[in-house]
Amino acid sequence: MGSVAERSKALDLGSSLSGGVGLVSVLMVFVWLGENQVSPLRPICDLRVLDHFVREARDSEVIMRGCRGGCGVMKSYFVPLTSVDFAVWEHTDVHGQAVEVQTGLSLLDQALNNAMKTVSNSPLASVLENNISNIHSLGQILHSLDLQQARSTVLPDDSVPASAQTQEVSSLPELLQVQSSFLRGKVRLLLSAAPACQRQNS
Amino acid sequence: MRNDRLKIVFVLCLAFVSTGGQHLESKVVQLLQDEAEDIKCFVEGKDLTCFWEEEEERNNLHDQYTFTYSYENKKKMACVVSSLSLLASNKTVFFCKLPKTPFFTTLVVQVYRDAQMLYSRSLNAENFLFLDPPRNLTVTNSGKEGQLNVSWLPPPLKYMDDSLIYEVRYAMEGSNMGKVEVIKVSTMLVLLGLQSDTRYKVWVRVKPDGVAYKGYWSAWTEPVFGVTQPGDMDPLIVVLVLFIGLILCLLSLTVILSHHKFLLKKLWPDIPTPEHKFPGLFTVYKGDFKEWMSQNNGSIWGRSVHVYAEELPSPLEVLSEVSLTGHATSQREERKPVEEEEEKESERSDSRLTDRWREPPHAHWLMEQLRALQDNPESLSQSSLLQSHDTYVTLNQGDNERQDDDVFEETVPLQTLFTTAGTSSLSTSRSDLGSLQQSSGSGRLSSQSSFEYPNHTWPPKGPGYAYMAVADSGVSMDYSPMSSSRIAELGKHRMYTNDYKNDIFPHKWPLSGQHIKSGSGSCTGTVW
Repeated sequence: MGSVAERSKALDLGSSLSGGVGLVSVLMVFVWLGENQVSPLRPICDLRVLDHFVREARDSEVIMRGCRGGCGVMKSYFVPLTSVDFAVWEHTDVHGQAVEVQTGLSLLDQALNNAMKTVSNSPLASVLENNISNIHSLGQILHSLDLQQARSTVLPDDSVPASAQTQEVSSLPELLQVQSSFLRGKVRLLLSAAPACQRQNS
Repeated sequence: MRNDRLKIVFVLCLAFVSTGGQHLESKVVQLLQDEAEDIKCFVEGKDLTCFWEEEEERNNLHDQYTFTYSYENKKKMACVVSSLSLLASNKTVFFCKLPKTPFFTTLVVQVYRDAQMLYSRSLNAENFLFLDPPRNLTVTNSGKEGQLNVSWLPPPLKYMDDSLIYEVRYAMEGSNMGKVEVIKVSTMLVLLGLQSDTRYKVWVRVKPDGVAYKGYWSAWTEPVFGVTQPGDMDPLIVVLVLFIGLILCLLSLTVILSHHKFLLKKLWPDIPTPEHKFPGLFTVYKGDFKEWMSQNNGSIWGRSVHVYAEELPSPLEVLSEVSLTGHATSQREERKPVEEEEEKESERSDSRLTDRWREPPHAHWLMEQLRALQDNPESLSQSSLLQSHDTYVTLNQGDNERQDDDVFEETVPLQTLFTTAGTSSLSTSRSDLGSLQQSSGSGRLSSQSSFEYPNHTWPPKGPGYAYMAVADSGVSMDYSPMSSSRIAELGKHRMYTNDYKNDIFPHKWPLSGQHIKSGSGSCTGTVW
């Protein structure tokens, strides 16, 4: 009597173990595949997407100008440098440009998030939210271009140190202006000159 | 120190003027009108140029102004101020060109005069692009009607090729009303809806599209001409025209065919031929009249007598010869000058007639002669005149001795009326209401004015005689002279007379040839 019960217990244990192992192995296969898979993402080279984001950034500037009440507080934000010296820019390699762009986008994302906390005006808040999602999309676009940039994801983090590549602004309108300039300048130059897109066009 | 600065400024000024002066001036001029700011700035290439107008007349110019700029909260930097004299408006502007202008950042530019801030402005350089006009504008024929291909090259820029919009303006040559087409990014355009076979002028200008970069419209290019293709005939219209033409042709053809006989008679009338009157003359006898007459003796003759009723000349009335010895001299004298004239028209003959008729003694004398003649028919050779209201043909006869006189007397009045045709030896005579003459020879005077020659052949009297054929159709008289050979022929034939009272010839004419038939009058005539 005891052996039958013991045998059934052992069988149950064995089956569950084998099932578990199989599952794990399958999972491991998936993880392995996931890690080693070649990115099937096609490069997004159409600059009209970026132009769309630029227009929306300009819209938020316009709304900011017309905002009366609940339009944020005076606060310092660390934002990227937007100025482009063409002579210098041309001498920078694509990778360096990509890093610069990526860093700047993350900084902007942080700043915008911080600003949204202080905004109570609903139209302004909605456009700010739009801008934040646009910046995330730009990150994806950069990723699709496979520019070998640092894979650090854009994470909202207050502890980003101020580097030489940043500047400080003290108000939301200035922040929005910086965002607009950054998108039209460095981001656009990078996307228009991306090697993946050059290969496609030629 | 000051001198050094002055020198530097002067050299820079020269450099600016020599190289990009013209471009700069044209852009400055345009912005002076368009831009409302005190400091007007534009980006040419990669350099930002800011300028301002001179306020008032100053003795010292350049070193009074100080131009500073800063960006991204960095320290201010100075820029060298230069001056430019505008030739057109006679103004002076001061300008400063920023080297290595940073884009996509806010620039703050300031102008100081004597340490006092005059103007200040903050701007983003990428928003003030003032581009050069497009290059290599070409207008070509596209091969299609009403179309032109326009193409150009963008201004030489980096990173901005996809951020430009163009404006194409086109107008007919000589017209100032132009149309404008806006085209983005692409540097080619096909103009549609143009008039065919017309010369067009085309201009192009360029501007940043306003998304990433903004700026002013560039200057227009120099106009380029293009000619559109000459218009083809619309194939539908051609087909319709041909179709309608075909229908019209068919209609006209049908009308013509249905009335062709009528039209033919109107347009191409038959030339009347006498063939039907001479059956067999031209077909059998090949126009030989003699043979035809001999063959068709009896039957034709009777028939043709009636047929030729209105076509034959009327018979002649032969009068006896009258010598005008009594009044010969007077008449001769009177008629001499008249004779010398040659007349051909009947008007003149009429006038001569009236002239003679004004001679009363002449008429009286005629009556006397007539009576004498009636009494004495043998004296036909004597001068006698018949008075008659009918037309007469006088036949000149005369012996040789009398020839001159008689010919002279008798023919003078008649010669004045009629001329001889052809032979000058003959003197023809025509009807003359005034003078009457009678031919000599056997014959007797009939009731009024005719006499007969029954069975008498008319002897040809040689060249002294003249004979005449008269055709009287009842409407007009036709006279034709007869040559001497003809007369000789005539003499061989018999002559026939007919009554004065319009009797139709009862006699047969055994002779071939044309015979004279009486229509309204009666006379005898020669038959040949």
